[in-house]
Amino acid sequence: MKKLIPILFVVAAITACQKEPSLSELDDDYVVFTDYDKSASFGDYLTYYMPDSVLLITDSEKATYWTNDEADYILETFAENMAARGFMPADSKEDADLGLQVSYVEDVRYFINYPNNNWWWGYPGYWGPGYWGPYWSYWYYPYPVVYSYSVNSFLTELVDLTDQTGTSKRLPVLWSSYMAGLQSSSPRVNQNLVIRAIDQAFVQSPYLTRQ
Amino acid sequence: MKTIKQISLWVVAAAFMAVVPTRGNAQAVSRTYFNVDWQFNAPMGDSYADKASGWGMNFEGGYYVMPQLAIGAYIAYHTNNKYIDRQTLALSSSSALTTDQQHSLFQLPFGALAKYRFTTGGVFEPYMTVKMGANYSRMSSYMQAWELYHDTWGFAVSPEIGISIFPSPNYRYGLHLAMYYNYTTNKSKVLTYELDGRNNLGFRVGVSF
Repeated sequence: MKKLIPILFVVAAITACQKEPSLSELDDDYVVFTDYDKSASFGDYLTYYMPDSVLLITDSEKATYWTNDEADYILETFAENMAARGFMPADSKEDADLGLQVSYVEDVRYFINYPNNNWWWGYPGYWGPGYWGPYWSYWYYPYPVVYSYSVNSFLTELVDLTDQTGTSKRLPVLWSSYMAGLQSSSPRVNQNLVIRAIDQAFVQSPYLTRQ
Repeated sequence: MKTIKQISLWVVAAAFMAVVPTRGNAQAVSRTYFNVDWQFNAPMGDSYADKASGWGMNFEGGYYVMPQLAIGAYIAYHTNNKYIDRQTLALSSSSALTTDQQHSLFQLPFGALAKYRFTTGGVFEPYMTVKMGANYSRMSSYMQAWELYHDTWGFAVSPEIGISIFPSPNYRYGLHLAMYYNYTTNKSKVLTYELDGRNNLGFRVGVSF
């Protein structure tokens, strides 16, 4: 029996080392990160164009998209928030001052070969600068990007389409958001979580307005 | 984590090996001692992860260079966690983050000690100890599927008072009770939270042999 005492303490030591907190206590809402170009004057922009689909980033090498019912509630939530901030939808991207692109990261295994920070730019079908017009040859963030990739996350970028007269063909990203969380088994719950996350992205971006 | 477990394992194993040859000859072990304790720890002076907890242990051993004065070594570890409700943090002048969090503060001090016992050879053996050494600490924030953390090293100092209770003075197995204060110099930052030093107050319950 006496010999068991040190052994019991060894067992206790091994099992009670660093105690990780209970993640079940965390709420279900998404983590929402936003950043923007502080030199941007959002009041100078009136119209925006948003594609009618959400790009799916998966482990597939072929671009796929959410459209219709799958994407509508997401795009509608963005549109409602943009309208609330005074921006108007444009009929075509050629007529728009701003471009709003939304992507959903379903799986990150595809990106293990993309060591650069802006790994999503290399994804097949990603909203390349050329999508927004032949003038743009590459784009850039005027601010540091600190995204961490993960499953079940949304990437949103608001690009400036107005500066097509200069010599630079860089397409600037004026605002970006990154929203991520764990998926629920309920599609209805997931939809509510995504809507709340999009709304939160605008709530914490009060500068994103025409007023 | 694996390293920590290995350290704990070796300390207890060493203690066990040291005491086994002394069975049947109590006088031979009178100059050495070991304490193995469960501990309850409360961080003080900051609110990062100040929820008191019992997720920690302490291991120490020493040699009496004088009848009442021992020198030795110790290692301990502890984790304190705290839930932080959902809030928006301004990470920079342009970026913001909204999330709830589980804060976690892990500490692992180890080093040398000097112990003075007020009595010898009795059932009750009150003492005071001063411990000094290094402290490894991980300051973490858990958000959904992520952990942001900052590992740091600092200097640690810890006064302790306690008592060892040996029901049979000739048999060196007994109960150990102690209270301690621990200060370390670790500086760390996670998100918008900064910690400059660690203050801890706690107690230990374990065995002496």
